Amino acid sequence: MSLPTRKLTVTINGRRRGPMDVPEGMMMIDVLHEMLDLTGSRLGCGIGICHACVVIWDRDDQTSEEVQTCITGADFFDGKRIRTIEGIAQKNDKDEIVALSPVQQAFLDNYSFQCGYCTPGFVNAATVLIERLKRAPVPRAQVEATVAAALENHICRCTGYVRYYQAVRDVILATPGLTRDDA
Amino acid sequence: MTVRRLAQLAALAAVLIVIVLATLVAIRLLGGRTGGAVQVVSAPADVVARGKYLAEAADCAACHSAPGGAPYAGGLAMQSGFGTIYATNVTPDPDNGIGRWSADDFWRALHDGIRRDGQQLYPAMPYTSYRGMARADADAIYAYVMQLRPMKVANLRTELDFPYNIRPGMMGWNLLFLTDTISAASTGSSAAWQRGRYLVDVLGHCGECHTPRGILGQMELSQPLAGFALGRVAAPDITSAGLASRGWTAASLRTYLSRGIASRGSAFSDMHQVIVLSTRNLTAEDSDAVVTYLLGDRPPPPAPLAAADPAILEAAANGAGRTNYVALCAGCHGLAGSGVPNTVVALRSNSTLRLADPRNLIVVMLDGIGPENFPHRASLQAMPGFADKLSDQQAAELANYLRVTWGGQKPDVTAATVRALR
Repeated sequence: MSLPTRKLTVTINGRRRGPMDVPEGMMMIDVLHEMLDLTGSRLGCGIGICHACVVIWDRDDQTSEEVQTCITGADFFDGKRIRTIEGIAQKNDKDEIVALSPVQQAFLDNYSFQCGYCTPGFVNAATVLIERLKRAPVPRAQVEATVAAALENHICRCTGYVRYYQAVRDVILATPGLTRDDA
Repeated sequence: MTVRRLAQLAALAAVLIVIVLATLVAIRLLGGRTGGAVQVVSAPADVVARGKYLAEAADCAACHSAPGGAPYAGGLAMQSGFGTIYATNVTPDPDNGIGRWSADDFWRALHDGIRRDGQQLYPAMPYTSYRGMARADADAIYAYVMQLRPMKVANLRTELDFPYNIRPGMMGWNLLFLTDTISAASTGSSAAWQRGRYLVDVLGHCGECHTPRGILGQMELSQPLAGFALGRVAAPDITSAGLASRGWTAASLRTYLSRGIASRGSAFSDMHQVIVLSTRNLTAEDSDAVVTYLLGDRPPPPAPLAAADPAILEAAANGAGRTNYVALCAGCHGLAGSGVPNTVVALRSNSTLRLADPRNLIVVMLDGIGPENFPHRASLQAMPGFADKLSDQQAAELANYLRVTWGGQKPDVTAATVRALR
């Protein structure tokens, strides 16, 4: 007896993967880990709460959102474009990392993480936020609340929130075009 | 000449009616009081304890406490088709609460829907149900609330549209709709059934949500507990036939009322509050009585899941609905809909899927359910909403897959049904 499978084709970090046969009901986190050797996304709670496992889903309308891969089946991603933590840093033609993203650098500068298990999720959430602010800047006075709202679903058991939030605030305030002065 | 005479008579009659009504209103208002002494109530401890039990059975706190606010200090906004009504402060604060109310004043509010100042209450306060309360029980509840800590929390002004904002108009409404007894929702005569009827129809005021309402907001007492959508989530049919048709038994109902999580699903939306604040506190005897009344003295056997047409089942198993189930739901609820014990409710035995009206299923799919704590330290984490991940068509296909596979229902949900609920 073999498991029924479904075909999956998905673009991950700009690279088209598949079509591949994925056992029916396999969650995307397992596909990333077991079939694609992308082990940076973290499996935490397994029930969609801690958000350590999120990847970035780039929608066709140019917006992006986080999706928990521990509770989202591979099927959901068929034909879609996603980014994982492995695709956040800047790379050259040879697929070598040449520069960290501003979010990653800020996390290092602020020493935001302790054990680091939830970090991939926080990086992706902050990345989605920064990209959103490029399209729709917020008043400077609302940066604090905006960061809190964007990261509040992410759970860190080392209680590193203060430094995570500080790092993301730093990036937003230091990057021209993400804030407005009007309010 | 005759026409003119008729017109004169009609005008005279109208003037007389207005005068009579105005007199009634004036008497009522002049009879009301606003000042007066602060009441000092010292009731025996056992009466206060009984009052607490009855106040919980009557679920006063559900409305008379705002989210995050002090218990019984009021403030909850209740949306109705006529405007917004705010529950009031019923702590014994003399200025904001009921500190100057006597036991008679309290009884009049519960029994007749009249405030101490003589003004009419709106039936968002379920005096329509409480009218059947025993005076001794009302007095015990009074003794209990009067020893709560007085909270200086001002009442919010009710915001109703014209003409509903004219409180004396409720005198006419009461004349039409206020009844001494609510017709029984099931058949029975045992002592447990009688007690259950009192707990369900009077104290629990279950019909206020579960009984359909007419055009003027009155309970349609010809169809007690037959289900109604007062808010976004519908209160389902909890008649004995309705419950049995969705597989409920006395045992599963008892578990549901005391724990909020049972084989047929978990309580969500307003009913979660009802479990946590009210039914969980019922004694085993009273809980049994509620179940006896709901199912009747001779409970109907729980209906097995209707055997679906194999062709429809086959189509569902290979359709887009199942693809979306596997993609978005199976991660928690499982490929076979079994859920995870103590963590994720099962869908294959879920009562909500067996409702003919797909409303609650669709609303939960779109909105999700927030994290909930249950009695005995049980809890369920949040279920995410999928409004942004499912198109109307996809949501309809998913709902139909669930209805056909585990609900014994027809795959009759359309994209338009979903769109209407967005």
